[in-house]
Amino acid sequence: MSLGQLLSTSFVQHAFYAVTAVALAAGAIGYFVVLRRQAFAAHAIGHVGFAGAAGAVWLGLSPIVGLLVFCLGAGLLIGLGGASLDESDTVVGVTLTAALGLGVLFISLYSGYANATYSILFGQILGVTWGDVGLVTALSLGVLLVLSVVYRPLLFTSVDAQSASARGLSTRWMSLLFLSLLAITTVVAIQIVGVLLVFSLIVAPAAAAQALSSRPLASLSLATAIALLSAWAGLVLGVWIGGPVSFWITAIASFAYLSARVAQAARSRSRRRVIA
Amino acid sequence: MTVLALRDAAVTLGGRTIWQRASFDVEAGSITAVLGPNGSGKSTLLNLILGLVPLAEGSLQVFGEHPHRGNRRVGYMAQARGADAMSAMTGRDYVSLGYDGPRFGWGRDRAKRAVVGRALALTGTTSFADRPLRSLSGGQRQRIALAHATVFKPELLLLDEPLASLDLAAQAEIVDLINLIRDTTGAAVIVVAHDLNPLAPIVDRVLWIARHQVRGGPVDDVVNEEVLSDLYGHPVEIIVTPRGRRVIVGLEEEFAHPHPHGHDHSHEGPHEHFAEIYDEETR
Repeated sequence: MSLGQLLSTSFVQHAFYAVTAVALAAGAIGYFVVLRRQAFAAHAIGHVGFAGAAGAVWLGLSPIVGLLVFCLGAGLLIGLGGASLDESDTVVGVTLTAALGLGVLFISLYSGYANATYSILFGQILGVTWGDVGLVTALSLGVLLVLSVVYRPLLFTSVDAQSASARGLSTRWMSLLFLSLLAITTVVAIQIVGVLLVFSLIVAPAAAAQALSSRPLASLSLATAIALLSAWAGLVLGVWIGGPVSFWITAIASFAYLSARVAQAARSRSRRRVIA
Repeated sequence: MTVLALRDAAVTLGGRTIWQRASFDVEAGSITAVLGPNGSGKSTLLNLILGLVPLAEGSLQVFGEHPHRGNRRVGYMAQARGADAMSAMTGRDYVSLGYDGPRFGWGRDRAKRAVVGRALALTGTTSFADRPLRSLSGGQRQRIALAHATVFKPELLLLDEPLASLDLAAQAEIVDLINLIRDTTGAAVIVVAHDLNPLAPIVDRVLWIARHQVRGGPVDDVVNEEVLSDLYGHPVEIIVTPRGRRVIVGLEEEFAHPHPHGHDHSHEGPHEHFAEIYDEETR
């Protein structure tokens, strides 16, 4: 089959719509994850999702149900428990470990086929159905819609919590709202790249964008664009050359981050030379 | 006009009394310096005025009403947290957040550009407002933060440690700018600081907080050996330099606790003992 024929098959079409929706939400939410330095929380929410998905599979439910329940629960727990920043790493770490333990238990109880576990951990984008695509798209667009409404207050509380609360914003509610949006984004991103690689779609593009631009809206758009390009290119390469799509997406997004950091270093060195 | 009136006020946080029996007024167009050791409750006073912390006792009126969050007549500049915290934006972005940061939803605000531009012009930051905050010097970042705090031309401006971690030249620049803002907008300014001297040329009144007590008044009424020794519960000496700068030093234990030397000094007051040792030393 030629590449064109491959790309027009229905499972690749499903995958294309799903990665597009997910990359848009992941890039945008990732901007705030990097800005708020909550990469560890993003990482933890994904891993907690693993326990939820494993539990749902054991109970004979759709993994996405377990993912939603556990990821949202983890987001709220981290938001409530880690209000003071000094404590937050510990709260995140304990939440993460407790959930992973549960995940191990659920897997041992579910003596069935290990394929389900594998697809939760590493993603199974080429297996998504039309129903999955609809759900993933709806959730992603929902995240983007809410994010566009809270954009300015979220930006304000993220960079200067003290001034923002003096101006009447609740940093606690903004934090809970943000972590809920992050949890939903994580759930949809797991459908594509899996629990272990969820970082690649949420954090890597946003970190690359912030190294390249210091304007918030430009940086957020760039993060979304990098996530989108990584997801599309990863899908095409996975179908064309072979190998897991999640591997390709991760490789491209990580490479984008590395290149951005190199470009940033080169730029600041040349600026120093101009001054000297 | 009285901008702020505090009467017999006490603040408790988590069951602990931060300070109590505080009374003072702030007049329009005046500059008040809030001084005292770390952790004495200086920032808590600002949080009280901002409506972020409740009053345990007494009363506080800001523009004749109870303090409440989101009051645009009150401008606030939080303590700086280094270059990293706001690295991902330009000065203009940060000042814009002072304008519409608390607003949810979409929509363009046509007045924004002009209002933000005016705040940048007032603080002399226009020339570097479009550079990333991370590339600015500490003094430049503080000027941007002042633009952020004054975007609505507040009638009461609260500044938390605006001079912290600045070199002497930058400190003087910020002090001049605070004075300029007061002169051009007529705002009352309350400045939390840990050193009175850089602010001395522009300060009208001082509020000193130590050991749960608050003393307010004109500089000389508060910053003298008697009041500060009483506030700290420990004798202090104030040395005035030829150009009028004050250096405050705590005196040694020997002066503070004159008794345990084997002699019976119980008939003497601490001041007499103080004078005795002092005489020996000068002889």
